[in-house]
Amino acid sequence: MISRREMLQWGMVAPALASVSQIAFAGELPALGTGLLDAILLDDRLSPAAGWSALPAGVTTLHFAGDVTQIWYETIDPAWRHRGYVLGGITAASTLFVLETLAHQQGRRVVSHVPLNATPRKPDHSVRWIIAPHHRSVMP
Amino acid sequence: MTILPPDMDEARFAAFLRELGAAVGADWVWSGEKDMFPYRDSFSPVWNTEEERHASAAVAPANVEQVSEVVRIARRHRVPLFPISTGKNFGYGGPSPNVTGSVVLDLKRMNRVLELNEERAYALLEPGVSYFDLYRAIQERGLRLMVDCPDPGWGSPVGNSLERGVGYTMPYFRDHFGAHCGMEVVLPDGEVMRTGMGAMPGADTWQEYPYGFGPDPSGLFAQGNFGVVTKMGFRLMPLPEHYQTGLITVPKRRDFVKLVEHVNYLNDSGLIGEVEYGSPLSVLMGDGDFAALATKTGGPSDTAMDAAASAAGLHSWQVELQFFGPEAATRANWNYAKDRILSAIPGAEAKAGDDFPLPASEAELENVTQPYPTRIKRHRSLGVPSLVEWKIVRDDGHIGFFPVLPRTGEAVFEVQRVLGDAMKEFPSLPPFFNALTTPLMWHTHTFQMVFAPSIKHDDPAHNAISHEAMKKCVAVAAEHGWGDYRASPIYQDDVSATYGFNDHILRRFHEQLKDAIDPDGIIAPGRGGVWPRRFRT
Repeated sequence: MISRREMLQWGMVAPALASVSQIAFAGELPALGTGLLDAILLDDRLSPAAGWSALPAGVTTLHFAGDVTQIWYETIDPAWRHRGYVLGGITAASTLFVLETLAHQQGRRVVSHVPLNATPRKPDHSVRWIIAPHHRSVMP
Repeated sequence: MTILPPDMDEARFAAFLRELGAAVGADWVWSGEKDMFPYRDSFSPVWNTEEERHASAAVAPANVEQVSEVVRIARRHRVPLFPISTGKNFGYGGPSPNVTGSVVLDLKRMNRVLELNEERAYALLEPGVSYFDLYRAIQERGLRLMVDCPDPGWGSPVGNSLERGVGYTMPYFRDHFGAHCGMEVVLPDGEVMRTGMGAMPGADTWQEYPYGFGPDPSGLFAQGNFGVVTKMGFRLMPLPEHYQTGLITVPKRRDFVKLVEHVNYLNDSGLIGEVEYGSPLSVLMGDGDFAALATKTGGPSDTAMDAAASAAGLHSWQVELQFFGPEAATRANWNYAKDRILSAIPGAEAKAGDDFPLPASEAELENVTQPYPTRIKRHRSLGVPSLVEWKIVRDDGHIGFFPVLPRTGEAVFEVQRVLGDAMKEFPSLPPFFNALTTPLMWHTHTFQMVFAPSIKHDDPAHNAISHEAMKKCVAVAAEHGWGDYRASPIYQDDVSATYGFNDHILRRFHEQLKDAIDPDGIIAPGRGGVWPRRFRT
């Protein structure tokens, strides 16, 4: 479970992503038309006690609990077969590794990666991340 | 720093890349450090060292015509190509080549399921099709066909079978290369060839009779470098009606020998699917005294192990059995297996596990209702691709050595002892080989054991230990006739050298073929330990 403080940090960052000129990740995100996240992927096992309420309204959230297979198969993989699509997430590190590997095949890469636990090297620590199009073949 | 193909300067490399772009579209060529990250082997034990192999560029053709053109361009410029399907060969090199500077020939855009035939139970696939893609195509069409997939399921049936990868269902289908039927190959001169009945124009049996007429070259393309496979047929299992499981345990250490004999009979008679061997004594490995016994130099005595088992009130070995077929047949086969083994081994016990009609529900796939501790991973056992297996990966990945040993209990004991003692030289690694290490029966009728030390991107000293241990393990195993079945490019020469009958006549035969078929050494030089003349010392 992530802390409320960590959740608030995400809550503060996410609205800033609405404007490429303001965002903390402006140097990392590719030059997108809008700079918006298309969706945020959330592992509900990591939900803060208060839930995901600190997330900004209007952003599509995708939920799973441990096994990312179904949500990737039904939603993320189809989206990654088209141009564009910026995905953020709060998941276990093992989930990010799986998605990062699949993203590489689709011309995308992790452009932001922030450990959320005090001891990142412990098995399956939590991370906050963004995967965005990188190669010209998938840029919008 | 720019990585260049062998014997090529930057100006000629730039011209070469422009030709590739003209052939496939500029969007489908990758080069430069900023773009080439997907083509590094993230499981490499020589990560960020001088030994790491790096591709110079990547090119992704859309169809077989473009593959032919890319091969012709590469031949004109004498640039080695390294074909990949989905590039998920983790633990065995992933997408990175044998020769630094090679251009990765990424076949991911060739991702069509060309044909699915339910009545005749086969599929014809392009290399960019993943197991997930195949499963999706079967589900969308409502076909009662079963996939035999590795885990995770993100790999390619074409790529996995050409690596002689394995699965988890019935014996015939677990051997992925063995279950293929017919392939189309772009040869090193750009010509397109089809094997088996595909060589007969108008034949409708390409995916039903694998051999055609005359010598069958299909084996040359598995772990080989004689061409680029652009289509491959596969036999598929009709979805069985029912699934039955069961557990058998035997009390004494030496009972394992008879247990293996009977399970072999059941497997070879086509009565069971993949089995999972294990030891109930594994729960004792947290106890220092027992762990010392199980990892004792020279191996523990049967008496000592039996005493430990008796004191703990546990049996020494277990095997989980899986049965597929009509409901009555699966029950009858389980009853037969149970009666056969229990009557042969005093003290053996059996317990029926879950059984249900197929396809399995989501809850049944989670395998949480077995009345005994289970090692079966239901998704893969029932042909449902999954990503969840990734949780077993420690650190940043692993390398893999899976020696092939005789399918006997005595051979298992010998491997435990010999490789367990050999790996004591590397005390920082987990004791992969100990008195409880059990064999895998992933291939049709073959035993393999597992040696998979981890790698860490930020710990080169640890990686160096894993690297050295791997080389030692391969060498010691070969001294006893236990060869590796599959290897990463950085180990392929070591492994190839262990198959040295008659002064390495097999390698010399392959080299003669290579020099004749691919005189410029364009296709994956070094793959499978086969080097073209220009790269041989």
